[in-house]
Amino acid sequence: MIEFLQWLESTSLSTWVRESPSIFAFPTVLLLHTVGMALCVGISAGVNFRILGFAPSLRLSPMVRLFPILWLGFWMNAITGTMLVMQDATNKLTNLDFYTKMVFIVLALVVLARIKKRVLLDPKVDSGPLNPSARTLALLSLLFWLGAITCGRLLAYVAPLVEV
Amino acid sequence: MESLNLAHAHLLLNHLPTIGFTIALCVYLAALFVKSDSLRKVGVVLFFLVALMAIPTYMTGAAAERALCPEMKCPPEINPQLIRTHEDLALLAFFFMELTGFFSWLALWQLRKSSQIAGWNWSVVLVLSVVSVGVMALAASEGSEIRHPELRSAAEESLPAIENSESTGYAKSIGAVVAGNTGVAWLWPAAEAVHFVGLCILFIVVLIVDLRLIGMAKGLSYKALYQLLPLGMLGFVLNFITGMLFFLGAPGQYVNNVEFHRKVLMIVLAGINVLYFMLVDETWAVGPDDEAPLRTKVAAASAIVLWIGVLYYGHMLPFLGNAF
Repeated sequence: MIEFLQWLESTSLSTWVRESPSIFAFPTVLLLHTVGMALCVGISAGVNFRILGFAPSLRLSPMVRLFPILWLGFWMNAITGTMLVMQDATNKLTNLDFYTKMVFIVLALVVLARIKKRVLLDPKVDSGPLNPSARTLALLSLLFWLGAITCGRLLAYVAPLVEV
Repeated sequence: MESLNLAHAHLLLNHLPTIGFTIALCVYLAALFVKSDSLRKVGVVLFFLVALMAIPTYMTGAAAERALCPEMKCPPEINPQLIRTHEDLALLAFFFMELTGFFSWLALWQLRKSSQIAGWNWSVVLVLSVVSVGVMALAASEGSEIRHPELRSAAEESLPAIENSESTGYAKSIGAVVAGNTGVAWLWPAAEAVHFVGLCILFIVVLIVDLRLIGMAKGLSYKALYQLLPLGMLGFVLNFITGMLFFLGAPGQYVNNVEFHRKVLMIVLAGINVLYFMLVDETWAVGPDDEAPLRTKVAAASAIVLWIGVLYYGHMLPFLGNAF
C-alpha cells in the first residue's frame, strides 16, 4: 500500500505540483480549489438558507439555473483536489481527516440531489408549501458542507506544509 | 515613491476617521433635528464609508510602528509605552467604528426595504458613533504624542521606558493568544476554518445576486434578491473578525506584504461597490424577468471580480508575499 502512495507522490504531475517554483503549480492549484469551494458551496448554501426562511420572497425554481456554476465549482475541486492529494499521498491518504472529508462530501452531494429533485424541481415549489422534508434536508446540507470545509482546512495541518 | 513609506500613509490616513466620523455625526444629528430622511441616508452612508477607510488606517498603524521602531527596538526619543497605549485605544476606537459602520449599513438596508430606519437601529447608530468619536479622539491624542514630545504631560514623561515593546498592551496580548504563544494552539486553525465558512456565506450573495443581474437566473426579482444582502454581510463580518485575529496574531506577516495591501484595497473597493446595489433606483426596479440595465450589469460583474480579487490576494499572501 505504502509503495502505491509513494508512487502517487513520485509521478511527474505530483512532483510538478509540489516542487515547481512556478506560480501555476501549488499556489494556483490550491487557489482553484478555494474558488471551486466558493462556487459550489456558495450556491448550495444559498438554496439552503432560502429554504430555511431567509429572503422568503425569492423564488426557488429559478435557482436551478445557477446549478451549472455549482457543478463547475465541484468539478474544479474534484480535479484540483485529486492533484493536491496525490502530491502528498503518504500523508493525506493515511489520515482519517481526509476520509472524514470525503464522507461529508458524498453526503452533501446526496442531500443536494434530493433538494434539487424534491424541492427545486417540484412544480408547486413557489406556489404551495415546501416539501415537508425540505427544512431537514437544507439543515443537513449546511452541516455536511460545514464538516467538509472544516476537515479540508485541517488537512493543511496533518502534514508539514509544502515548502514554498 | 521610495521615500514614501507606510508610516507616511498612516499620517495621511489617520485624520480621516476622526474628521470623517465627526462630520458624519454632525450630519446625522442635523437629520435628527430637521427630521429629514434624505439627510439620514447621507449620514449613514458617510459612517459606512469612513468605517471602510478606517480599515487601511488601522492596518498602516502597525506599519508605522515598524518604521519608527525597526525590529521592535525604539530609538531613545520614542517611548514604546506611548505606542502601546495608542495602539490599544486605536483598536478600541476601530472596534466601535466598525460596529457603527455595520449598523449604518443595516440602517441603509432597512431604508430601502421599508423606507425608514428601524427605531432601535436609529439610536444604536447614534450611541455607537458618539462612543467612536470619543474613543477615536483619545486614540488620536495619544498617537500625536508619539512624535510630539512637547504635547506630553509631566506624568507621561516619567513613564518607565520598557525594554521590549511587544510585552504589554491589549492588542499585543490578544495577538499572543491567537498566535498560540500562550498554549492555545487550536485557535489559529479554528479561525482559519471559520474564515473559509465566512467566505462561502459571502459568496452566496456575490454569486446569486450578481449572476442573476448579469442575466444567468432570470425569474428572480431584485427586490427579492435584496433580502439576501444581510447574509453576505454576515459572511463578511465573520471574515473581518477572524481576519483581524490573524492580523493581531502575526502583524509582521501582513504590514509590509504587498499582497495584503492589495487585498485591503480590494475590500475597500468592494465596499464602495455594495453601495451601488443599495442606493441606485434602476437596480431596484429590476423585476423577475427583466434584463438588468447595462450599468447594473457592469456593477454586478465588478462585484464578482472584486470579491474573487479579495480571495486571490488573500490566498496569495504566503506565495507572493511573506506570510507563512
